[in-house]
Amino acid sequence: MLSFTLQRIGKAVVVIIGVIILNFLLIKLAPGDPAAILAGEAGSGDPQYLENLRAQFGLDRPVPVQLWNYLSGVLTGDLGFSYRNQVPVLSLILERLPATLLLTGAAFAFSLATGVLFGVMAARYRGSALDSIITTLALVFYATPLFWIALMSVLLFSINLGWLPPFDMETIGAGYTGWRRALDIAHHLILPAVTLGLFYTAVYTRLTRASMLEVMGLDFVKTARAKGVPNKRIIRRHVLRNAVLPVFTFASMQAGQLVGGAILTETVFAWPGIGRLMFDALMQRDYPVLLGVFLVTAIVVVIVNFIADLLYRIVDPRIGIA
Amino acid sequence: MLRTLVRLATAAILACAPVAGPAMAQDAPAAEVTPGGALNMIVQPEPPMLIVGLNTQGPTLYVAGQIYQSLLTYDASLNPLPQLAKSWEVSEDGLTYTFSLQEGVKWHDGEPFTSADVVFAATEFLVDAHPRWRLIAEAYVESVTAPDDLTVVFKMKKPFSAFLYGFELSSFPIMPKHIYQGTDYRTNPANSTPIGTGPFKFKEWQRGSFIHLVRNEDYWKDGKPYLDELYFRVIPDAASRSIAFEQGTVDVLRGGDVEGFAIRTLTALPGVESTTAGWEYFSPQMFIQPNLRLEVFADRNIRKAMYHALDRDFIVNAIFFGQGKAARGPFSATTMFHDPDLQQYPFDMDLAKKLVAESGIDLSKHPIRLMGLPYGSTWDRLAEYVKQQLEELGFVVTIQAVDAGGWLQNIGSFNFDLAFNFLYQFGHPAQGVSRNYYSDNIVQGTHAGNNQAYANPEVDALFTKAADAVNQEDAAAAYTQVQEILAEDVPLLWTFDMQNTTIYRDKVKNLVRTAIGLNEPMDDVWIAK
Amino acid sequence: MQNLKRFSQNYGAVLGLVILGLIIAMALAAPLLFPGNPWRTVAMPLLRPMENPDFLLGTDMLGRDIAAGIAHGAKVSLLIGVVSTLVAVLIGVSIGALAGFYGGRVDDLLMRFTEFFQIIPAFAMAVVLVAIFSPNIVSITLAIAVVSWPGVARLVRAEFLSLREREFVQAAIVIGQSGPRIIMTQVLPNAISPIIVTASLMVATAILTESALSFLGLGDRNMMSWGFMIGAARTMLREAWWMSFFPGLAILLAVLAINLIGEGINDLMNPHLRGRKK
Repeated sequence: MLSFTLQRIGKAVVVIIGVIILNFLLIKLAPGDPAAILAGEAGSGDPQYLENLRAQFGLDRPVPVQLWNYLSGVLTGDLGFSYRNQVPVLSLILERLPATLLLTGAAFAFSLATGVLFGVMAARYRGSALDSIITTLALVFYATPLFWIALMSVLLFSINLGWLPPFDMETIGAGYTGWRRALDIAHHLILPAVTLGLFYTAVYTRLTRASMLEVMGLDFVKTARAKGVPNKRIIRRHVLRNAVLPVFTFASMQAGQLVGGAILTETVFAWPGIGRLMFDALMQRDYPVLLGVFLVTAIVVVIVNFIADLLYRIVDPRIGIA
Repeated sequence: MLRTLVRLATAAILACAPVAGPAMAQDAPAAEVTPGGALNMIVQPEPPMLIVGLNTQGPTLYVAGQIYQSLLTYDASLNPLPQLAKSWEVSEDGLTYTFSLQEGVKWHDGEPFTSADVVFAATEFLVDAHPRWRLIAEAYVESVTAPDDLTVVFKMKKPFSAFLYGFELSSFPIMPKHIYQGTDYRTNPANSTPIGTGPFKFKEWQRGSFIHLVRNEDYWKDGKPYLDELYFRVIPDAASRSIAFEQGTVDVLRGGDVEGFAIRTLTALPGVESTTAGWEYFSPQMFIQPNLRLEVFADRNIRKAMYHALDRDFIVNAIFFGQGKAARGPFSATTMFHDPDLQQYPFDMDLAKKLVAESGIDLSKHPIRLMGLPYGSTWDRLAEYVKQQLEELGFVVTIQAVDAGGWLQNIGSFNFDLAFNFLYQFGHPAQGVSRNYYSDNIVQGTHAGNNQAYANPEVDALFTKAADAVNQEDAAAAYTQVQEILAEDVPLLWTFDMQNTTIYRDKVKNLVRTAIGLNEPMDDVWIAK
Repeated sequence: MQNLKRFSQNYGAVLGLVILGLIIAMALAAPLLFPGNPWRTVAMPLLRPMENPDFLLGTDMLGRDIAAGIAHGAKVSLLIGVVSTLVAVLIGVSIGALAGFYGGRVDDLLMRFTEFFQIIPAFAMAVVLVAIFSPNIVSITLAIAVVSWPGVARLVRAEFLSLREREFVQAAIVIGQSGPRIIMTQVLPNAISPIIVTASLMVATAILTESALSFLGLGDRNMMSWGFMIGAARTMLREAWWMSFFPGLAILLAVLAINLIGEGINDLMNPHLRGRKK
């Protein structure tokens, strides 16, 4: 297990360095000089000011030197300085990361739990009205734009019904602490997490259902059934475990994709996470922040995948350690 | 004409005679005021920082206006009012400006505010970091001295008729000398905890969420401010912002916080008031900027035809939901020296087509790119409308989709055919208008210069003559003449004078009181209980 | 023939085919149904649906016909979906085939390269690409292709890895056929069915991605697409629901139809795996 872990870490480092270089070069390809943009925003056109900015950001050096400086900075935990905010990138990201982890984590848990539940129900009562309803709903949510669901649910649950707060992560200025605050945040979390998770609920429902049906057709299930084991028990003891495991793995591989969706969700719900930080940085050509968000996202994705892998191996020892 | 005269008279008095600044008008009777409470506002987009000496964008000013102050502010007719300067004198030759400062002013960290801070701002900090002050300082200011702790004297190289109009927060923010002198301003660690002299102190900034300011207990105006707390909330989606106001999460919406149609719905709500005042100093004017380097736009008749092809009343009413007035020339109607009697270009597609036909230019042979402003759906609709109109005139138009960064980049490097743009005029033409037309201001890297490359020596001379005038009547004459030339030349298609509506609940009192509106320190604002 | 019969028994797939057929017909007939430019102001702004029988779906804030926008937008949305998928399949199949067929070093290198793209959330990457290269129909299509190919590459690689060991491929290697020739004539034809199924789902995802990009203001300003219509209407959601409702419905129907068809093909090609997604 240890050598497996070490090997995986080594591989992960290579992938992450690759991601950094890829993104760095991509951004260097981009038209648009961040210094000119900043100077323009400040309303100053004079070349000296531009020169100062470029020198300050290190943009006056050749690209390979810039890349090297950035890479060696990253290795020592220095992600650079935000052009616009004049704040270290790392502190900007760390300030916003928990909000995104909370949002995507909740959406992940929600979509996985509901997806597996509905998938199992649909498979268990295959061909029934329940199955049709679940399958149809899954198809519809699979095909509906996420931002559309977000806007509609704000309209319904916040404005018409007044049940849920339409934006923000907590009641600002309320000064709640402890449990009161946690409850408040949870209350604010419901809408964004559910809208972000619904698409994946649909995916996991379909996946679980298909996987269940596949396992139910396998020989050992048929044998158990022939032996007269009660249906409920077959489902619980034999089918579920074998059918749900691949769904779990697939889901953890997809976990990173939630961050992409978070850009939309965080915009609609004013959620102070890194999805929006990334989008704002992009719009303002604040490249160190953009690179930093990508790097941190990549690291989180690698860690999640790694944990999923590890769990999978523990749960299912048949898989050899590669 | 009468209005101009009145304004001229006031300006002349202020400029020539030693006058103490008039007291703040109409303070609410103390008995009515109910102090305390928190005021919730929206800051959109989230500012990059609050150090107003380093960044003078709208959102920064809005928040930092409660933390930092300047020497003066201006009333709705653009007469100077005292802020950190208690009174001021201008010598008869227009070469010496003497400001007497308020007594007992302290920075938020307890250090006394003195004339040394003003000198530091004028000769060091702003010269280095403020784009507009630097230009004025280099061209006009000979020296800035502090004869005593409460007096500052500006000696001029030559008279500058607009000098007294450049001392509000966005033009001349005063930064604490004891924190910044001798440091790298941009990387000073104190930038994350701004220290000013204003009525509210910085408390907390949760990025992406809110900025929290609290009452400055040691504020130099006794018993003020009335409010205990200010919250500036970050809500990135326009529809969500309008919900926030409707649901009472916020009490104030600044111009631009919500889209035009939402303004109509929100102002119709019970207990809601609105005003378009508080933007007189900025007087933003939107214009369509043709790149005159292109052969087709170099033809004046084509520019006139394009101007005639646009129904600017439709633009204001249908696209901007009444938030503005069709422009009548290069000076916004609320800018000083505005001449209302210029040549006009009303919507007339037939005349426009005739002008094109007379020019002998085949517009379809000159495909053009139209670069809109990346500030939301209203601007997108305007781009779609302008494209339709110009295509009817015969152009082939492609809309260039850009984000804020791309827009600045393109306009600053002259990489555009036809662009939307708007600029603050800062009250006085020498502050905010002439920069669009000076032929020596065809410089890259800014959106606020002569990016269209207009060059007319006569216009250059007249703008300089007006700016250097000691006598306001000479300035007025030169400005009228230059407006006439510009109206005939149409180097820009002045589209409309933008209007910004501040929407607030009627329990919020004394909100908008000066020409800089919500950027004014809210030391008189209170919430009725 | 039997396939056709089996497909026609899959009601979902048939329904999908009918819907998609209607949408394609609408896209093709748009110039006849709604002649002229869909950007033109043709009526009073903000007419409600059915308020004026000439404009069944109402008009938007500039008085443009929503129905005309949907008909003309169908072309753009479908085009972006199909073209971006074709490009993604081309890249994905090339990389997956090389990696799977040659294995070893080549495989390692190509898969590591694929991972670089997979580790970054697809939508985030698409947003960055479109913003950086300024939003127009080409950059949008390419950006969607760039973020969708890794899935295809992995799929094709897995298929190739298993097909390579089969007798007919081994036989071709033994008789000395060239690598590219074996790939094209022996392996690829046998891997084609999962590629088609995946591709059909990718078209659906691409349409959704385009709409999400438009929602963030990263659409092509000169192309009337469904995503653009929603993006333009979303701030007026409460005042004029129809402006975003109908294009939203169009996206839903198109994506649904394509998914149903994809599943139908899947069932057809893998009859023993009925109901399985991938």
